[in-house]
Amino acid sequence: MDTHILDLEKKSISLIREAKAQFKKLAVLWSTGKDSTTSLWLCKKAFYGKIPFPVIHIDTGYKFPQIYEFRDKIAKEWSLNLVIAKNEKVLKEGMSPKKGRLDCCTLLKTEALKDLLRKEEFDALILSIRRDEHGIRAKERYYSPRDEEFKWNYTDQPAELWDLYIKPSEDFSHMRVHPILHWTEQEVWEYVKQENLPINPLYFAKNGKRYRSLGCMPCTVPIPSEASNIDEIVQELRTTTTPERAGRSQDKEKAYMMQKLRALGYM
Amino acid sequence: MIILALDALDLHMTKKFECKSLMQTEYGQTDISDFNLARTIVLWASFLTGKNMEARIPLKVQWEFKLDVEETLLKFFNPFKAIDVPSFSFKQRSHAEERRLLKDYFDNKATIEEYDAVVWRCHEENKKEFFHSIGKFDLVMGYFNLADSIGHLSFGISEKMKAVYDELENLAKEVQGSDEFILTISDHGMKAIGRYGDHTKNGFYSANRKLELKLPKITDFYNVLRP
Repeated sequence: MDTHILDLEKKSISLIREAKAQFKKLAVLWSTGKDSTTSLWLCKKAFYGKIPFPVIHIDTGYKFPQIYEFRDKIAKEWSLNLVIAKNEKVLKEGMSPKKGRLDCCTLLKTEALKDLLRKEEFDALILSIRRDEHGIRAKERYYSPRDEEFKWNYTDQPAELWDLYIKPSEDFSHMRVHPILHWTEQEVWEYVKQENLPINPLYFAKNGKRYRSLGCMPCTVPIPSEASNIDEIVQELRTTTTPERAGRSQDKEKAYMMQKLRALGYM
Repeated sequence: MIILALDALDLHMTKKFECKSLMQTEYGQTDISDFNLARTIVLWASFLTGKNMEARIPLKVQWEFKLDVEETLLKFFNPFKAIDVPSFSFKQRSHAEERRLLKDYFDNKATIEEYDAVVWRCHEENKKEFFHSIGKFDLVMGYFNLADSIGHLSFGISEKMKAVYDELENLAKEVQGSDEFILTISDHGMKAIGRYGDHTKNGFYSANRKLELKLPKITDFYNVLRP
Protein backbone atom coordinates (compact mmCIF):
# COMPACT_ATOMS: atom_id res chain seq x y z
CA MET A 1 0.00 0.00 0.00
CA ASP A 2 1.25 3.49 -0.90
CA THR A 3 2.39 5.01 2.42
CA HIS A 4 1.26 8.51 1.44
CA ILE A 5 -2.26 7.28 0.69
CA LEU A 6 -2.14 5.26 3.91
CA ASP A 7 -1.37 8.46 5.85
CA LEU A 8 -4.29 10.24 4.19
CA GLU A 9 -6.58 7.35 5.05
CA LYS A 10 -5.41 7.23 8.67
CA LYS A 11 -6.10 10.92 9.19
CA SER A 12 -9.57 10.62 7.59
CA ILE A 13 -10.53 7.59 9.67
CA SER A 14 -9.37 9.35 12.82
CA LEU A 15 -11.55 12.37 11.95
CA ILE A 16 -14.59 10.18 11.32
CA ARG A 17 -14.16 8.28 14.60
CA GLU A 18 -13.63 11.53 16.48
CA ALA A 19 -16.84 12.97 14.98
CA LYS A 20 -18.81 9.87 15.94
CA ALA A 21 -17.53 10.16 19.51
CA GLN A 22 -18.19 13.90 19.80
CA PHE A 23 -21.62 14.38 18.31
CA LYS A 24 -24.95 13.00 19.39
CA LYS A 25 -26.49 12.58 15.96
CA LEU A 26 -24.11 12.28 13.03
CA ALA A 27 -24.86 11.60 9.36
CA VAL A 28 -22.83 11.45 6.18
CA LEU A 29 -23.82 13.13 2.91
CA TRP A 30 -23.47 10.95 -0.16
CA SER A 31 -23.90 12.30 -3.68
CA THR A 32 -22.65 8.98 -5.15
CA GLY A 33 -19.67 10.83 -6.68
CA LYS A 34 -16.09 9.64 -6.29
CA ASP A 35 -15.37 11.82 -3.25
CA SER A 36 -18.42 10.96 -1.17
CA THR A 37 -18.15 7.29 -2.14
CA THR A 38 -14.56 7.43 -0.87
CA SER A 39 -15.78 8.99 2.38
CA LEU A 40 -18.43 6.31 2.71
CA TRP A 41 -15.78 3.64 2.29
CA LEU A 42 -13.65 5.37 4.93
CA CYS A 43 -16.67 5.37 7.27
CA LYS A 44 -17.07 1.65 6.65
CA LYS A 45 -13.40 1.09 7.42
CA ALA A 46 -13.57 3.29 10.52
CA PHE A 47 -16.31 1.14 11.99
CA TYR A 48 -15.20 -2.26 10.71
CA GLY A 49 -17.62 -2.70 7.81
CA LYS A 50 -20.88 -1.21 9.05
CA ILE A 51 -21.59 2.52 9.00
CA PRO A 52 -23.29 3.28 12.34
CA PHE A 53 -25.13 6.43 11.23
CA PRO A 54 -27.51 7.47 8.42
CA VAL A 55 -26.31 8.17 4.89
CA ILE A 56 -28.11 11.18 3.37
CA HIS A 57 -28.63 11.51 -0.34
CA ILE A 58 -30.08 14.84 -1.55
CA ASP A 59 -32.36 14.02 -4.44
CA THR A 60 -33.07 17.04 -6.63
CA GLY A 61 -35.09 14.97 -9.06
CA TYR A 62 -32.80 16.11 -11.88
CA LYS A 63 -29.89 13.75 -11.39
CA PHE A 64 -28.55 11.33 -14.00
CA PRO A 65 -30.34 7.92 -14.11
CA GLN A 66 -26.89 6.32 -13.55
CA ILE A 67 -26.68 8.15 -10.21
CA TYR A 68 -29.94 6.65 -8.94
CA GLU A 69 -28.95 3.18 -10.20
CA PHE A 70 -25.55 3.42 -8.53
CA ARG A 71 -27.04 4.76 -5.29
CA ASP A 72 -29.59 1.97 -4.95
CA LYS A 73 -27.10 -0.76 -5.85
CA ILE A 74 -24.44 0.37 -3.36
CA ALA A 75 -26.99 1.12 -0.62
CA LYS A 76 -28.13 -2.50 -0.86
CA GLU A 77 -24.66 -4.04 -1.13
CA TRP A 78 -23.22 -1.98 1.74
CA SER A 79 -26.39 -2.22 3.88
CA LEU A 80 -26.63 1.54 4.24
CA ASN A 81 -29.22 3.33 6.34
CA LEU A 82 -30.10 5.56 3.38
CA VAL A 83 -32.15 8.70 4.00
CA ILE A 84 -33.37 10.67 1.00
CA ALA A 85 -33.73 14.45 1.32
CA LYS A 86 -36.09 15.73 -1.35
CA ASN A 87 -38.02 18.99 -1.61
CA GLU A 88 -41.19 17.43 -3.07
CA LYS A 89 -43.22 20.60 -2.58
CA VAL A 90 -41.20 22.83 -4.91
CA LEU A 91 -40.67 20.00 -7.39
CA LYS A 92 -44.46 19.65 -7.65
CA GLU A 93 -44.66 23.40 -8.18
CA GLY A 94 -42.39 22.95 -11.19
CA MET A 95 -39.03 24.16 -9.91
CA SER A 96 -36.30 23.50 -12.46
CA PRO A 97 -33.00 25.08 -13.57
CA LYS A 98 -34.99 26.96 -16.21
CA LYS A 99 -36.47 29.05 -13.39
CA GLY A 100 -33.01 30.18 -12.32
CA ARG A 101 -30.08 27.99 -11.43
CA LEU A 102 -29.38 29.65 -8.12
CA ASP A 103 -32.99 29.41 -6.93
CA CYS A 104 -33.20 25.84 -8.18
CA CYS A 105 -30.04 24.81 -6.31
CA THR A 106 -31.11 26.64 -3.17
CA LEU A 107 -34.57 25.11 -3.03
CA LEU A 108 -33.77 21.60 -4.21
CA LYS A 109 -30.49 21.12 -2.37
CA THR A 110 -30.05 23.56 0.49
CA GLU A 111 -33.69 23.76 1.59
CA ALA A 112 -34.16 19.99 1.22
CA LEU A 113 -31.21 19.43 3.54
CA LYS A 114 -32.32 22.15 5.97
CA ASP A 115 -35.74 20.49 6.27
CA LEU A 116 -34.18 17.11 6.95
CA LEU A 117 -31.78 18.54 9.52
CA ARG A 118 -34.63 20.25 11.36
CA LYS A 119 -36.74 17.09 11.26
CA GLU A 120 -34.04 14.61 12.25
CA GLU A 121 -32.06 16.98 14.51
CA PHE A 122 -28.65 15.99 13.20
CA ASP A 123 -25.94 17.93 15.02
CA ALA A 124 -23.11 17.01 12.66
CA LEU A 125 -22.71 16.12 8.99
CA ILE A 126 -19.80 14.50 7.23
CA LEU A 127 -19.16 16.15 3.87
CA SER A 128 -16.65 15.15 1.22
CA ILE A 129 -15.22 18.47 0.13
CA ARG A 130 -11.55 18.85 -0.67
CA ARG A 131 -9.35 21.93 -0.42
CA ASP A 132 -8.03 21.59 -3.97
CA GLU A 133 -11.52 21.49 -5.43
CA HIS A 134 -12.38 25.19 -5.36
CA GLY A 135 -10.92 28.48 -4.09
CA ILE A 136 -13.52 28.95 -1.37
CA ARG A 137 -13.09 25.35 -0.17
CA ALA A 138 -9.38 25.98 0.31
CA LYS A 139 -10.38 28.15 3.28
CA GLU A 140 -12.28 25.35 5.00
CA ARG A 141 -11.31 23.59 8.21
CA TYR A 142 -11.87 19.92 9.14
CA TYR A 143 -14.55 21.06 11.59
CA SER A 144 -16.72 23.87 10.30
CA PRO A 145 -19.65 25.17 12.39
CA ARG A 146 -22.79 26.39 10.57
CA ASP A 147 -25.74 28.45 11.71
CA GLU A 148 -29.38 27.69 10.93
CA GLU A 149 -29.06 29.34 7.53
CA PHE A 150 -26.01 27.14 6.81
CA LYS A 151 -23.86 30.26 6.96
CA TRP A 152 -20.18 29.89 7.63
CA ASN A 153 -17.91 32.65 8.91
CA TYR A 154 -14.62 31.79 7.27
CA THR A 155 -12.93 34.87 8.72
CA ASP A 156 -13.48 33.55 12.23
CA GLN A 157 -12.13 30.02 12.35
CA PRO A 158 -9.68 28.58 14.84
CA ALA A 159 -6.43 27.08 13.65
CA GLU A 160 -6.57 23.28 13.84
CA LEU A 161 -3.19 22.65 15.35
CA TRP A 162 -2.16 19.34 16.91
CA ASP A 163 -5.43 17.74 15.73
CA LEU A 164 -7.48 19.96 18.03
CA TYR A 165 -10.84 20.91 16.58
CA ILE A 166 -13.65 23.25 17.60
CA LYS A 167 -15.99 21.62 20.11
CA PRO A 168 -19.75 21.14 19.81
CA SER A 169 -21.57 24.20 21.10
CA GLU A 170 -25.03 25.72 21.29
CA ASP A 171 -23.69 28.71 19.38
CA PHE A 172 -24.20 26.93 16.09
CA SER A 173 -26.85 24.76 14.52
CA HIS A 174 -24.66 21.91 13.29
CA MET A 175 -21.06 21.03 12.60
CA ARG A 176 -19.68 20.04 9.23
CA VAL A 177 -16.90 17.52 9.36
CA HIS A 178 -14.62 17.22 6.33
CA PRO A 179 -12.60 14.00 6.56
CA ILE A 180 -11.08 14.18 3.07
CA LEU A 181 -10.36 17.90 3.07
CA HIS A 182 -6.62 17.23 2.73
CA TRP A 183 -6.92 14.88 -0.27
CA THR A 184 -6.41 15.93 -3.89
CA GLU A 185 -8.53 14.79 -6.81
CA GLN A 186 -5.66 12.62 -8.02
CA GLU A 187 -5.22 10.99 -4.62
CA VAL A 188 -8.92 10.17 -4.49
CA TRP A 189 -8.62 8.36 -7.82
CA GLU A 190 -5.48 6.54 -6.69
CA TYR A 191 -7.36 5.44 -3.57
CA VAL A 192 -10.38 4.34 -5.61
CA LYS A 193 -8.05 2.13 -7.63
CA GLN A 194 -6.14 0.83 -4.64
CA GLU A 195 -9.32 -0.09 -2.72
CA ASN A 196 -11.14 -1.24 -5.85
CA LEU A 197 -14.09 0.98 -4.99
CA PRO A 198 -17.24 0.91 -7.11
CA ILE A 199 -17.48 4.02 -9.24
CA ASN A 200 -20.18 5.64 -11.34
CA PRO A 201 -19.56 4.84 -15.05
CA LEU A 202 -20.24 8.48 -15.97
CA TYR A 203 -16.67 9.27 -14.90
CA PHE A 204 -15.21 7.22 -17.76
CA ALA A 205 -14.84 8.61 -21.27
CA LYS A 206 -17.30 7.67 -23.96
CA ASN A 207 -17.06 9.14 -27.46
CA GLY A 208 -14.30 11.54 -26.37
CA LYS A 209 -16.11 12.94 -23.33
CA ARG A 210 -16.45 12.16 -19.65
CA TYR A 211 -17.90 13.73 -16.51
CA ARG A 212 -15.25 14.91 -14.10
CA SER A 213 -17.69 16.07 -11.45
CA LEU A 214 -21.26 14.83 -11.11
CA GLY A 215 -24.25 17.06 -10.47
CA CYS A 216 -27.73 17.51 -11.88
CA MET A 217 -28.27 16.53 -15.50
CA PRO A 218 -29.35 19.95 -16.88
CA CYS A 219 -26.46 21.76 -15.18
CA THR A 220 -23.51 19.42 -15.71
CA VAL A 221 -21.59 19.08 -18.94
CA PRO A 222 -18.93 16.50 -19.80
CA ILE A 223 -15.35 17.55 -20.46
CA PRO A 224 -13.38 16.47 -23.56
CA SER A 225 -11.41 13.40 -22.48
CA GLU A 226 -10.19 10.02 -23.69
CA ALA A 227 -9.68 8.68 -20.14
CA SER A 228 -11.73 5.50 -20.05
CA ASN A 229 -10.23 3.91 -16.94
CA ILE A 230 -8.75 5.02 -13.60
CA ASP A 231 -5.12 4.89 -14.77
CA GLU A 232 -5.95 7.13 -17.70
CA ILE A 233 -7.85 9.52 -15.42
CA VAL A 234 -4.84 9.81 -13.08
CA GLN A 235 -2.62 10.41 -16.10
CA GLU A 236 -5.01 13.08 -17.38
CA LEU A 237 -5.05 14.83 -13.98
CA ARG A 238 -1.25 15.06 -13.96
CA THR A 239 -1.28 17.36 -16.98
CA THR A 240 -4.68 19.07 -17.08
CA THR A 241 -5.07 22.80 -16.49
CA THR A 242 -8.89 22.63 -16.46
CA PRO A 243 -10.52 23.16 -13.05
CA GLU A 244 -12.27 20.12 -11.63
CA ARG A 245 -15.67 21.78 -11.52
CA ALA A 246 -15.41 23.30 -15.01
CA GLY A 247 -18.37 21.23 -16.15
CA ARG A 248 -20.58 22.29 -13.23
CA SER A 249 -22.55 25.33 -14.30
CA GLN A 250 -24.39 25.30 -10.97
CA ASP A 251 -21.34 26.66 -9.19
CA LYS A 252 -23.15 28.74 -6.60
CA GLU A 253 -20.90 31.77 -6.73
CA LYS A 254 -21.04 31.81 -10.49
CA ALA A 255 -24.82 31.56 -10.44
CA TYR A 256 -25.04 34.28 -7.79
CA MET A 257 -22.74 36.52 -9.78
CA MET A 258 -24.70 35.96 -12.96
CA GLN A 259 -27.87 36.95 -11.12
CA LYS A 260 -26.23 40.07 -9.68
CA LEU A 261 -24.79 41.15 -13.02
CA ARG A 262 -28.20 40.72 -14.61
CA ALA A 263 -29.73 42.91 -11.89
CA LEU A 264 -27.09 45.55 -12.61
CA GLY A 265 -27.91 45.37 -16.30
CA TYR A 266 -24.64 43.86 -17.52
CA MET A 267 -26.41 40.96 -19.21
CA MET B 1 -8.22 69.89 -13.92
CA ILE B 2 -7.85 66.16 -14.30
CA ILE B 3 -10.47 63.62 -13.23
CA LEU B 4 -9.41 60.00 -13.11
CA ALA B 5 -12.72 58.16 -13.14
CA LEU B 6 -11.86 54.64 -12.04
CA ASP B 7 -14.78 52.25 -12.03
CA ALA B 8 -14.97 50.07 -8.90
CA LEU B 9 -11.72 51.34 -7.38
CA ASP B 10 -11.95 50.10 -3.81
CA LEU B 11 -10.37 51.75 -0.79
CA HIS B 12 -9.46 48.46 0.92
CA MET B 13 -7.74 47.17 -2.19
CA THR B 14 -5.93 50.47 -2.72
CA LYS B 15 -4.56 50.17 0.80
CA LYS B 16 -3.85 46.45 0.47
CA PHE B 17 -1.71 46.97 -2.64
CA GLU B 18 -0.16 50.16 -1.22
CA CYS B 19 -1.18 52.34 -4.16
CA LYS B 20 0.33 55.57 -2.83
CA SER B 21 -0.32 57.62 -5.95
CA LEU B 22 -4.00 56.72 -5.95
CA MET B 23 -4.23 57.77 -2.30
CA GLN B 24 -3.38 61.46 -2.69
CA THR B 25 -3.23 64.29 -0.12
CA GLU B 26 -6.83 63.63 0.87
CA TYR B 27 -8.55 60.33 0.29
CA GLY B 28 -11.44 58.30 1.63
CA GLN B 29 -14.68 56.56 0.88
CA THR B 30 -17.76 57.98 -0.76
CA ASP B 31 -21.25 57.10 0.34
CA ILE B 32 -23.71 55.85 -2.25
CA SER B 33 -26.19 54.34 0.19
CA ASP B 34 -28.91 56.61 -1.26
CA PHE B 35 -28.96 54.43 -4.35
CA ASN B 36 -30.95 51.19 -4.46
CA LEU B 37 -28.46 49.55 -6.81
CA ALA B 38 -24.84 50.48 -7.46
CA ARG B 39 -25.33 50.86 -11.22
CA THR B 40 -22.34 52.24 -13.11
CA ILE B 41 -24.22 54.48 -15.56
CA VAL B 42 -26.49 55.88 -12.83
CA LEU B 43 -23.60 56.69 -10.51
CA TRP B 44 -21.51 58.45 -13.13
CA ALA B 45 -24.55 60.38 -14.35
CA SER B 46 -25.17 61.41 -10.73
CA PHE B 47 -21.55 62.48 -10.35
CA LEU B 48 -21.78 64.61 -13.48
CA THR B 49 -25.12 66.25 -12.64
CA GLY B 50 -24.96 66.45 -8.85
CA LYS B 51 -28.38 64.75 -8.68
CA ASN B 52 -29.46 61.20 -7.93
CA MET B 53 -30.25 59.94 -11.44
CA GLU B 54 -31.51 56.49 -10.45
CA ALA B 55 -35.16 57.17 -11.31
CA ARG B 56 -34.33 58.80 -14.63
CA ILE B 57 -32.25 55.95 -16.05
CA PRO B 58 -34.21 52.75 -16.70
CA LEU B 59 -32.21 49.54 -16.40
CA LYS B 60 -33.08 48.28 -19.87
CA VAL B 61 -31.75 51.27 -21.78
CA GLN B 62 -29.09 52.40 -19.34
CA TRP B 63 -26.09 51.77 -21.56
CA GLU B 64 -27.51 54.01 -24.31
CA PHE B 65 -28.46 56.80 -21.88
CA LYS B 66 -26.73 60.08 -22.72
CA LEU B 67 -26.75 63.36 -20.80
CA ASP B 68 -26.80 66.77 -22.43
CA VAL B 69 -23.64 68.71 -21.63
CA GLU B 70 -25.72 71.53 -20.13
CA GLU B 71 -26.89 69.17 -17.38
CA THR B 72 -23.37 68.30 -16.35
CA LEU B 73 -20.49 69.94 -14.54
CA LEU B 74 -18.53 69.67 -17.79
CA LYS B 75 -20.29 72.85 -19.00
CA PHE B 76 -18.13 74.85 -16.59
CA PHE B 77 -14.97 73.91 -18.46
CA ASN B 78 -14.07 75.10 -21.90
CA PRO B 79 -12.64 73.23 -23.62
CA PHE B 80 -13.06 69.87 -21.93
CA LYS B 81 -12.35 66.29 -22.90
CA ALA B 82 -14.46 63.45 -21.53
CA ILE B 83 -13.02 60.07 -22.51
CA ASP B 84 -15.42 57.14 -22.43
CA VAL B 85 -17.41 58.68 -19.55
CA PRO B 86 -20.54 56.58 -18.81
CA SER B 87 -23.78 58.47 -19.53
CA PHE B 88 -21.91 61.06 -21.57
CA SER B 89 -19.22 59.83 -23.98
CA PHE B 90 -19.44 56.11 -23.29
CA LYS B 91 -17.84 53.99 -26.01
CA GLN B 92 -20.84 51.85 -26.81
CA ARG B 93 -19.18 49.37 -29.14
CA SER B 94 -16.22 48.50 -26.91
CA HIS B 95 -18.37 48.02 -23.83
CA ALA B 96 -21.01 46.06 -25.70
CA GLU B 97 -18.25 43.66 -26.75
CA GLU B 98 -17.14 43.30 -23.12
CA ARG B 99 -20.69 42.60 -22.01
CA ARG B 100 -21.18 40.06 -24.80
CA LEU B 101 -18.06 38.17 -23.68
CA LEU B 102 -19.20 38.41 -20.07
CA LYS B 103 -22.46 36.74 -21.01
CA ASP B 104 -20.60 34.17 -23.11
CA TYR B 105 -18.44 33.33 -20.12
CA PHE B 106 -21.51 32.59 -18.01
CA ASP B 107 -22.95 30.56 -20.89
CA ASN B 108 -19.67 28.58 -21.08
CA LYS B 109 -18.97 29.95 -24.56
CA ALA B 110 -15.96 32.16 -23.77
CA THR B 111 -13.04 31.91 -21.40
CA ILE B 112 -12.03 34.47 -18.79
CA GLU B 113 -8.82 34.99 -20.76
CA GLU B 114 -10.75 36.01 -23.88
CA TYR B 115 -12.85 38.41 -21.82
CA ASP B 116 -9.82 39.87 -20.02
CA ALA B 117 -8.01 40.47 -23.32
CA VAL B 118 -10.85 42.68 -24.59
CA VAL B 119 -11.03 44.59 -21.28
CA TRP B 120 -7.30 45.30 -21.30
CA ARG B 121 -7.43 46.34 -24.96
CA CYS B 122 -10.18 48.91 -24.22
CA HIS B 123 -8.16 50.15 -21.24
CA GLU B 124 -5.05 50.68 -23.36
CA GLU B 125 -7.07 52.61 -25.96
CA ASN B 126 -8.49 54.94 -23.30
CA LYS B 127 -5.08 55.38 -21.70
CA LYS B 128 -3.54 56.47 -24.97
CA GLU B 129 -6.30 59.00 -25.57
CA PHE B 130 -6.11 60.22 -21.98
CA PHE B 131 -2.40 61.00 -21.97
CA HIS B 132 -2.66 62.54 -25.41
CA SER B 133 -5.29 64.97 -24.03
CA ILE B 134 -3.58 66.10 -20.82
CA GLY B 135 -2.40 69.70 -20.99
CA LYS B 136 -4.62 70.53 -23.95
CA PHE B 137 -7.94 71.04 -22.15
CA ASP B 138 -9.28 72.86 -19.08
CA LEU B 139 -10.69 69.56 -17.90
CA VAL B 140 -9.70 66.05 -18.90
CA MET B 141 -11.93 63.33 -17.48
CA GLY B 142 -10.73 59.82 -18.30
CA TYR B 143 -12.82 56.78 -17.46
CA PHE B 144 -11.15 53.41 -16.89
CA ASN B 145 -13.18 50.31 -16.08
CA LEU B 146 -10.29 47.88 -15.59
CA ALA B 147 -10.90 47.27 -11.85
CA ASP B 148 -14.61 46.72 -12.42
CA SER B 149 -14.49 44.54 -15.50
CA ILE B 150 -11.56 42.37 -14.46
CA GLY B 151 -12.88 42.37 -10.88
CA HIS B 152 -16.28 40.95 -11.79
CA LEU B 153 -14.74 37.65 -12.84
CA SER B 154 -11.49 37.68 -10.86
CA PHE B 155 -11.79 39.87 -7.74
CA GLY B 156 -10.96 36.92 -5.48
CA ILE B 157 -7.69 36.24 -7.31
CA SER B 158 -5.20 38.44 -5.54
CA GLU B 159 -2.35 38.19 -8.07
CA LYS B 160 -4.61 39.26 -10.88
CA MET B 161 -6.11 42.16 -8.97
CA LYS B 162 -2.64 43.29 -7.96
CA ALA B 163 -1.75 43.61 -11.65
CA VAL B 164 -4.90 45.71 -12.15
CA TYR B 165 -4.17 47.97 -9.18
CA ASP B 166 -0.51 48.30 -10.20
CA GLU B 167 -1.66 49.48 -13.62
CA LEU B 168 -4.05 52.05 -12.10
CA GLU B 169 -1.38 53.15 -9.64
CA ASN B 170 1.05 53.73 -12.53
CA LEU B 171 -1.64 55.70 -14.31
CA ALA B 172 -2.09 57.93 -11.25
CA LYS B 173 1.67 58.26 -10.78
CA GLU B 174 2.12 59.43 -14.34
CA VAL B 175 -0.66 62.02 -14.02
CA GLN B 176 0.88 63.43 -10.86
CA GLY B 177 3.63 64.99 -12.95
CA SER B 178 1.04 67.61 -13.88
CA ASP B 179 0.53 70.66 -11.59
CA GLU B 180 -3.23 70.65 -12.13
CA PHE B 181 -5.92 69.75 -9.60
CA ILE B 182 -6.38 65.99 -9.75
CA LEU B 183 -9.43 64.14 -8.52
CA THR B 184 -9.49 60.37 -8.51
CA ILE B 185 -12.95 58.99 -8.06
CA SER B 186 -14.76 55.67 -8.30
CA ASP B 187 -18.46 54.98 -8.55
CA HIS B 188 -18.58 52.07 -6.08
CA GLY B 189 -16.34 49.57 -4.33
CA MET B 190 -16.13 45.83 -4.72
CA LYS B 191 -16.20 42.73 -2.54
CA ALA B 192 -15.28 39.13 -3.28
CA ILE B 193 -17.86 36.45 -3.90
CA GLY B 194 -15.52 33.50 -4.18
CA ARG B 195 -13.45 34.30 -7.26
CA TYR B 196 -15.97 36.88 -8.47
CA GLY B 197 -16.51 40.53 -7.52
CA ASP B 198 -19.74 42.25 -6.55
CA HIS B 199 -20.43 46.00 -6.26
CA THR B 200 -20.46 47.54 -2.79
CA LYS B 201 -21.98 50.85 -1.75
CA ASN B 202 -18.72 52.53 -0.89
CA GLY B 203 -16.80 54.33 -3.58
CA PHE B 204 -13.37 55.95 -3.36
CA TYR B 205 -12.09 59.45 -3.87
CA SER B 206 -8.76 61.22 -3.55
CA ALA B 207 -7.52 64.70 -4.36
CA ASN B 208 -4.07 66.28 -4.55
CA ARG B 209 -5.18 69.09 -2.25
CA LYS B 210 -7.24 69.25 0.92
CA LEU B 211 -10.97 69.32 0.32
CA GLU B 212 -11.96 68.58 3.93
CA LEU B 213 -14.67 66.14 2.85
CA LYS B 214 -16.09 63.58 5.24
CA LEU B 215 -17.74 60.57 3.62
CA PRO B 216 -19.03 62.66 0.71
CA LYS B 217 -21.89 61.54 -1.50
CA ILE B 218 -21.03 61.05 -5.15
CA THR B 219 -23.43 63.92 -5.98
CA ASP B 220 -21.49 66.32 -3.70
CA PHE B 221 -18.64 66.60 -6.17
CA TYR B 222 -20.68 68.71 -8.56
CA ASN B 223 -20.42 71.68 -6.22
CA VAL B 224 -16.88 70.81 -5.15
CA LEU B 225 -15.62 70.88 -8.73
CA ARG B 226 -17.61 73.73 -10.30
CA PRO B 227 -15.47 76.85 -10.59
